[in-house]
Amino acid sequence: MSDHIDGPRQIGDPSIDLTDLFAFTSPENPAHSVLAADVFPSAGASAMFSNVATHSIVVRRASVAGRGDAAKFKTGDEEYRFSCRFDTLVRGPDGKPIQRGACTFPDGQTVRFVVNDEKGAATPDGAFRVFAGLRSDPFILAWLMGPPRRKFENLLLHDNVLSIVVEFDTSHVLDPGKGSLFAAIAETTPLPTSGGFVGHDPPRFDWLGRPEQTNVRLNNPILTGVDDVRDLWNQQTPFAIADEFRPVFRKRLFDSLAAWDLSDGKADWTPAGLAASAEVFLDDFLLFDVSKPITDTSHLEIEKSTLNGLDYQTGGGRTVDTHDIDILLTWLINRDREYLQGGATSATKPGTRQFPYLASPNTEPQTVVDSVDLSAAPDQVWALIGQFGGAWHPLIARIAVTGTGIGQLRTIETIDGKQMIERLEAIDEVQRFYRYTMISGIPALDYVGTLDVKANGAGSSVEWRVQFWADGQPTLIVRTIIATLLKTGLEALKKRFG
Amino acid sequence: MNSVIESLDLAMDFAPATAGDIAAINLDSARRRSWSRFWRAPERPGIAENIVEQELLTAQFVGDLTAFDRLEVLVSQLARANPEAAQTSLVAAQVACATHRFAEATVSLAEAVARGAPSDTAECLSLTLHQATGKDLLEVVAARRKRVAKPGRWEELAPLGALLADLCEFDEAERTYHQALREYRDVSPFAMAWVCFQLGVLWGELIPDTHSSRAAQWYRKAIEYLPCYVKARVHLAEIYSRVGRIEDAEALLIPAVSSGDPEVHWRLAEVLSARNNCAEADARMQVARSGFELLLKKHLLAFADHGAEFYSGSGDDAGRAFELARVNVVNRPTLRAFEQAYATGIRAGEFDDASKILQDANERWGLTPAFRFCSLADCRSDRVENAAN
Repeated sequence: MSDHIDGPRQIGDPSIDLTDLFAFTSPENPAHSVLAADVFPSAGASAMFSNVATHSIVVRRASVAGRGDAAKFKTGDEEYRFSCRFDTLVRGPDGKPIQRGACTFPDGQTVRFVVNDEKGAATPDGAFRVFAGLRSDPFILAWLMGPPRRKFENLLLHDNVLSIVVEFDTSHVLDPGKGSLFAAIAETTPLPTSGGFVGHDPPRFDWLGRPEQTNVRLNNPILTGVDDVRDLWNQQTPFAIADEFRPVFRKRLFDSLAAWDLSDGKADWTPAGLAASAEVFLDDFLLFDVSKPITDTSHLEIEKSTLNGLDYQTGGGRTVDTHDIDILLTWLINRDREYLQGGATSATKPGTRQFPYLASPNTEPQTVVDSVDLSAAPDQVWALIGQFGGAWHPLIARIAVTGTGIGQLRTIETIDGKQMIERLEAIDEVQRFYRYTMISGIPALDYVGTLDVKANGAGSSVEWRVQFWADGQPTLIVRTIIATLLKTGLEALKKRFG
Repeated sequence: MNSVIESLDLAMDFAPATAGDIAAINLDSARRRSWSRFWRAPERPGIAENIVEQELLTAQFVGDLTAFDRLEVLVSQLARANPEAAQTSLVAAQVACATHRFAEATVSLAEAVARGAPSDTAECLSLTLHQATGKDLLEVVAARRKRVAKPGRWEELAPLGALLADLCEFDEAERTYHQALREYRDVSPFAMAWVCFQLGVLWGELIPDTHSSRAAQWYRKAIEYLPCYVKARVHLAEIYSRVGRIEDAEALLIPAVSSGDPEVHWRLAEVLSARNNCAEADARMQVARSGFELLLKKHLLAFADHGAEFYSGSGDDAGRAFELARVNVVNRPTLRAFEQAYATGIRAGEFDDASKILQDANERWGLTPAFRFCSLADCRSDRVENAAN
């Protein structure tokens, strides 16, 4: 028997792939701090955590050890570790899989929780609280890094991630009297097992500190002909990058930051400043100060002020609604001369003021697809329905087109007096298809329609596909509206073309 | 017999992996999510590549062969959305390769390279194409060894093991698979299950003196990693059936019926027949036959060898088996394809054609070390011709 794939290829487990780390003051209780880590990029609606990895957020006390071109942050040896482990699945009363887990806090207390239970679980003394489960991905990636770099819609729109959120009494746990600046990392590591990995256990599967250390700073898309050092980076020990590799990463960071600086045609950084910035980013951890305000715009302020030779003013950190990439690119490219706003101003859903602070997960979009086989040749059918402003649909009373080409709008008045406005997003006269979005008229969000005419023997086949999220009306009602629209249109084509 | 199967023990520790049911749920959820993203913006880089990976995993491990239909839709949509892109040609090549349309895959790959597809990905696919069609295998071995020698190339080990097994270098193939098991540093169960399955095939089907007990242990280990692994269930059920463990075979197959893979119905029919449940066995066999024919109608080259095996077995249509085996050997003239074509030709009474196949096999493979291990080594075309007379 033959095989249809030649090997396992890149089939690493996405549920141990860390995407983000956050550190902020609790919106519910200013005396509490919140740490959150996300795994599983673009997780589907039923995603679960791996049962053979420990997911940890680790905090160490930090201090400013140098400023200006000698900027440096040092961390202590003592660790505050928040570690979650997850069980295998069990079946609930409705037959659906349920996953439970346990979180162990820095003082040794452990609480059990149920994945996706929004209430989470708390220790009896109220010092700690934990949630784990699917949430809307708060990250905004609204740039195509290029080159050339350009604004784009949020590439993570409607995406979900698996989140772990821990909230704790700041004074009780971190004792800020000994110093209020802290450094955090997140890591996924193997469970200690008797059998374990053969040879030696991998020390960790993945880790991260500040956002975009690997994909923007180390693996700068502007740099060409350079080795990808991300795997080597991921094998490093957090808070202790190996001395033998520090020169490699330092040079890469310097080259990368220099390239970012010049990417707008202007040099805003001196060589000494770039070297200092590279040194700061080389020690990759998320800095936050629990005695100062952490806001949506305070991310990286501690590093930036220190590099500028000044006392930092905020708690740095990173909130759920931080525009990380915009803040980072602005700093790297023009050293805060001019704010660089990407193509989106918010994530799919903003963070919330209630635990667990990351918004509820996005539902999967609804799809309605209908098709019809016709006796007429594709060109004949396309001549009728390939006109974006064509009035071939029996439910259309009037149609008016504004503009031409991609971006043109069609305003449709239906025979029952309703109005719909749609925008042409793509059209291919040769391949005979066009894609459009709904601006208004149907209670749906992110409504994307595709009309496609293909050859089918001597005749043709027309497929009409619409993907959407219901908005303001029950999904079933919106689905019925759209299905009726498609069906009526295709039936009319059948009558016309046989 | 049963005690023999249970008594051996795999003398190694195994890396822990995420539970198979979690991994399968995560694969399905990620696959659906990828399709949602694709329909929003088909031309966006990265999404189609993810879908190819996820659909191939779905076909390979979950036994959902409709994944190939979805991949065809993917290629067609990409060709419409971004016809000139290297990504489009590369995905087309990957899908054509996965469905054994190797000539088409070769053309698409050349197109992808000309359009600037990543050289490493292109080389990887090129090696796969050569390996699948039995072309320049010594050069492919050298290239595979070179790739394995690079750091962080765990995923290169299993294809190298499969290639060595194709070349009848069984000891080295086994060592390579064991190295893959030892050096795995992730927690996805798919990779481990796949290597265990390959070891099962090595011991159960490829080595000259097959060792069913050891093969069974590897298949069991694959299922332990991934309970939904349909092919491993089918192969293990075959072994159980052979040694009279009919109930165990049935217990393995029943949960796999929902996958829709006709091979499950075929093997279940054999189990039911062994239990004298002839009516249900006939019904299952009918489902299997129509399932194979549907697959062959949609993806002839991908399932020609599977179909030939079915029809030369309890599918009981020697002529159809030979027809399919010939399609397969023309498409991918590997030693195993020649073996299958020759055997089905003899069984179908097509002695002249079988003799010609034997001659072709000798011309193509006769001087290779692997040939002496194969079933054709002791066959002589003059005897075939005599038998015909």
